[in-house]
Amino acid sequence: MMRGAICIWQRDMLVLRRNLFAEATTVLAFPLTFFLTFGLGLKGYIQEVEGVSYAIFVVPGLISMTAVLAAFDDSAWGMWFHRIVQKTIEEYRVNPITVFDIIIGKIISGFTSGFLKGLVVGLALLFLTGFQFKLLFLLSYLLYIFLGCIIFSCLGSLCGTLIDKPENLGRIEAVVVMPIIFLAGLFFPLSAYPDSILPYIKSIPTTALFDGSRIALLSGKMDVFYLLQLSISAVISFFLAVRMFEKKMHG
Amino acid sequence: MIVPVENEIELKNVTKAYGSLMAVKDVSFTVPRGMVFGLLGPNGAGKTTLVNMLTTLLKPTSGSAFVGGHDVVRAAARVRSLIGVVLQENNLDRYLTARENLIFHAKMHGMPPSTYHPRIDDLLSLMGLTERQKDFPNKFSVGMQRRLVVARALVHDPRILFLDEPTTGLDPQAKRMIWDYFLSLKGKRTIFLTTHNMEEADFLCDQITIIDHGSPVASGTASQLKEMAESSWFYEIEVDGRSDEYLRAFQRLPFIESASLEDGMIRVCLKKEGSLGSLVEQIDLRDLRRINSRKPSLEDVFLKLTGRRLRQ
Ligand SMILES: Nc1ncnc2c1ncn2[C@@H]1O[C@H](COP(=O)(O)OP(=O)(O)OP(=O)(O)O)[C@@H](O)[C@H]1O
Ligand SMILES: [Mg+2]
Repeated sequence: MMRGAICIWQRDMLVLRRNLFAEATTVLAFPLTFFLTFGLGLKGYIQEVEGVSYAIFVVPGLISMTAVLAAFDDSAWGMWFHRIVQKTIEEYRVNPITVFDIIIGKIISGFTSGFLKGLVVGLALLFLTGFQFKLLFLLSYLLYIFLGCIIFSCLGSLCGTLIDKPENLGRIEAVVVMPIIFLAGLFFPLSAYPDSILPYIKSIPTTALFDGSRIALLSGKMDVFYLLQLSISAVISFFLAVRMFEKKMHG
Repeated sequence: MIVPVENEIELKNVTKAYGSLMAVKDVSFTVPRGMVFGLLGPNGAGKTTLVNMLTTLLKPTSGSAFVGGHDVVRAAARVRSLIGVVLQENNLDRYLTARENLIFHAKMHGMPPSTYHPRIDDLLSLMGLTERQKDFPNKFSVGMQRRLVVARALVHDPRILFLDEPTTGLDPQAKRMIWDYFLSLKGKRTIFLTTHNMEEADFLCDQITIIDHGSPVASGTASQLKEMAESSWFYEIEVDGRSDEYLRAFQRLPFIESASLEDGMIRVCLKKEGSLGSLVEQIDLRDLRRINSRKPSLEDVFLKLTGRRLRQ
């Protein structure tokens, strides 16, 4: 039991290690550009947000976004590639491992990749901001990243399982993933939303992730409601990913 | 404990439907242990569908199948621990080197490094890939990829091998080498192979089943199958140019069972003896180079039974 999942995870980590430099450069490009242009370049034009400078305000969101997007991308494209292009999923399936092993292996791989990429970006940004965050706050922040990576890795695997055409996978990213990330108060405080819209925004799990994680990192406060919302989302997306993969495989 | 079974593979009324399309229709047969069994059929006959069901990739719509004595649906994991599989497509991992592909497979089978390293060395050398073991398979020619896929299926020394067109894309030398290896397994391992290559079926298989449109149309040893065709009359005719024209003319004649063009020779199968005279009358004698009578090949049997030629 689980041998298959571990084999698959090890394989994915070997491939990730091999491309470490390229992966790290790619993953750093957007958050660093954003940080430099908006956080530093426009610093003088943007006032303090919720008591901190804008540069500090966006750091948690940039890290979270990198982590969950990487988890989603790696899972979705990984699953799609192995299923449709290389057909390696078929090869996995004639070995004495279960379909459950395969999906678990893939989810854990996506999670690890997202988490590691988040850490890389996190370290870079923390360095640029002069390590102004408290260690304890950092730990509670990691809990959010952890849950976020699980959710997005499961959702990515789900999309990679259900979607056969690459252009449709790209569409899901543009139409669903990016909006729910950007709407969730990633680059501005939720208080900027009119009261009539706020409840809807708050019901998106990504709000729990981005708003919750920022609060955690900046003030160390843990929002129980947010964490509950994220845990439930993680459980649901996990079961959906596993169920749909099993269904797809067993026809 | 391995339960001793006479038949390593057993199909009982297996059917697979894709919507309204019946890819495999009510197929039943058995393959005794140690035998090389060949499944012959034209494109779309249902060979791959059958292999996919026996290797637990697809569930039969109805009927049941057993591999190594285990139900392919209810004891799929047991079945998978006994089989080695070469699927029709080269499904290699292009992000792993040739050797890593094999190691990954060994790990999936729970083999320890002390066992799999020597085994992989042997297989790489057998397949002539030792020099290229550190390369990624997308840098390989199609034939080299195929050899690696075959090697991968052999890493864990499976009791039962399923090979879906194992030698397509291979040059004659590589083909021969792999055939010899399969022959050396005869009696010790059970091999289920699908092929379009008559020579392959003739050379390797103890038992051949021809399927068409999802159902078996004949089965037996290669010589039994050829005997079936002996009631037909086969000739090869060579003409000067205009072979295509003659071929089309022949195909319209009522006493011709089938006619085809191969290496410049028109191969005909007559429906009854004595119609050769009428056939020759159709040819302008200035065009005629020669006429040979010949023994039926598996290809002829195939053509006779399915009315179609095999892709080759
Ligand atoms: N996933 C699928 N969905 C719908 N129809 C399918 C599917 N796979 C196969 N078929 C159909 O089932 C029939 C049998 O296909 P199969 O691949 O088993 O043939 P085959 O004998 O292996 O042919 P080939 O020699 O070309 O490999 C074909 O008519 C094919 O179109
Ligand atoms: Mg096929």
